Amino acid sequence: MTALSPDMQPTRAARGQSHWQTLVTQLVGLIVILGAWWLVTDVLKLYPPYVFPGPKAVWTEISYGLWGTGPQDGKLLSAIGGSLRRVLTGYVIAVLLGVVVGLLMGAWRPLRTTLGAYLTGIQSVPSIAFVPFAILFLGLNERAVLFVVILEGFIPVALAVSGALLNVPPALRVAGRTLGAGSLGLMLRVLLPASVPSILTGLRTAWSFSWRALVGGELLIAGAASLGEQLEIGRNTANVALVLATIIIIGVIGGLFDSLLRAAEGRVRRDYGLEVPQ
Amino acid sequence: MTRLIRPTLLTLTLLTTAAAQDAQTVRLGFFPNLTHAPALVGLERGTFQKALSQVGSGKVKLDAKEFVSGTTLTEAFAAGQIDIAYVGPGPAINAAGRGMPVQFLAGASEAGAVLVVRKDSGIKSYKDLAGKIVAVPSLGNTQDISLRHILNENSLKPRADGGNVTITPIAPADVLAAFAAKRVDATLVPEPWGAALEAQGHKVIGSEKTVWRDGKYPTTVVIVNAKFAQANPQIVTAFLKAHTDAVAFINKSPVAAQTAVNNQLLKATGTKLDPRVLQRAFARTRFTTSLDLAALTEYAKLNVEAGYARSAPDLAPFIRK
Repeated sequence: MTALSPDMQPTRAARGQSHWQTLVTQLVGLIVILGAWWLVTDVLKLYPPYVFPGPKAVWTEISYGLWGTGPQDGKLLSAIGGSLRRVLTGYVIAVLLGVVVGLLMGAWRPLRTTLGAYLTGIQSVPSIAFVPFAILFLGLNERAVLFVVILEGFIPVALAVSGALLNVPPALRVAGRTLGAGSLGLMLRVLLPASVPSILTGLRTAWSFSWRALVGGELLIAGAASLGEQLEIGRNTANVALVLATIIIIGVIGGLFDSLLRAAEGRVRRDYGLEVPQ
Repeated sequence: MTRLIRPTLLTLTLLTTAAAQDAQTVRLGFFPNLTHAPALVGLERGTFQKALSQVGSGKVKLDAKEFVSGTTLTEAFAAGQIDIAYVGPGPAINAAGRGMPVQFLAGASEAGAVLVVRKDSGIKSYKDLAGKIVAVPSLGNTQDISLRHILNENSLKPRADGGNVTITPIAPADVLAAFAAKRVDATLVPEPWGAALEAQGHKVIGSEKTVWRDGKYPTTVVIVNAKFAQANPQIVTAFLKAHTDAVAFINKSPVAAQTAVNNQLLKATGTKLDPRVLQRAFARTRFTTSLDLAALTEYAKLNVEAGYARSAPDLAPFIRK
């Protein structure tokens, strides 16, 4: 599958250079944003600090919250731990469930035309809308958060898997059959491997859906250390700096995981010959 | 650049002049709880409007806004949407500590918060709260801070801090339903919700006296936006007089006050309480206009202990002379 001629691959040096360029551009962009923020809040003082605090105040919250050593410090760190544990549990279950449901939908048309259509509909419902139901159904606890995370995460995986199966070139099916694969063998050894690139796209979507659902759920179901609870506490104690610090952390973690998955996806797509590297 | 700055400056002007601009309307924030009885009684009997109509040309209007819990009001206060508010000391101290233009105007009520456990929860004492779910009106509010202090004194910890007591925010009026659905095991609520739970057979294990400081703690205070107070001293004086009148009325005619409170509760929450429930709740709450700086200062320390602030602000400058 990696039958690209060597001259189509950019040299290692060229690739490295473009990475550096991206990094430098992003760094400059960050400095510009921070500078504008600092100008608006700390220099021009356009807003009172309890409405829009400056970068320094937010940094104070981040530093105390992540590596502060006072008795009330380190809360953001334990919130990150709690949230990551919760989202990863939910995400893994969502992916497993999504693959199974997706395979079933891909294999059986009636399921695809019914459940598939409904899942697309459910996907358009914002995750926060399920939280009240989850609370009443499962109680004010982590299971309610997990319910929302799994629900949001499994739909894109299921849809991606079933969609991917349908898009496998018929020639591969024929080849598999000819080589003596049974239904299960065809599914596991031919169709599933051939669908990996689309499935990875589904996994990445599932991640961002799960992560957003998690924070939304945690906002309403407090109790354990969580980023949602930090947002709520920041809001309730008039600590806007904590709210912004938490938002930044949520964004950074979400972005980090997304770029990890994106890298995996890109690599697989290259390996499958679906993408010509620039 | 001008295009960017102009709207920003406009917003800024709106923010800073909000107080003066709305001089003809006093925006009051309060909650439908018995600990806010002076607000409820004053509204029901028209005490505030009457006092305000005697200011200046007599065109000052009252715009009363109801909030579910102490801390959401702070947001409205920060956004300049509220001029005067009945609020718990917890959110008020937080607002002061963050540099909001808060001025403590007067006291409103003391005690009046009780710890109630569900009848089949098996909780007999504070120690039994281990492993249970306890509701408070909202995270960071006055009862939440008190609860965290109670836990601390009994060597217990909230789950978010590595302990095993789950603290969950539920609006006081919804706690009855949460108890019925067994979603929570206990709650630290302001009255009359404690008495209302008690009337359904649930048990009070922490009376207003054992919660903290032998019951000598502020539960509700009156705060004013300092900029508003500076721009409208007459309005603030008139409001303070109406507040004092309302408190005096409550202490002089408790039965009439209970009826007034019940009418306002019905309007706000759709729930009317049994007069006997209200009577019991009243007996556990004290209404006063005085502000105890020492108690407030201790509360600020509990706020730090609860992890909601890193230092306790000196509150003396925030109290209206």
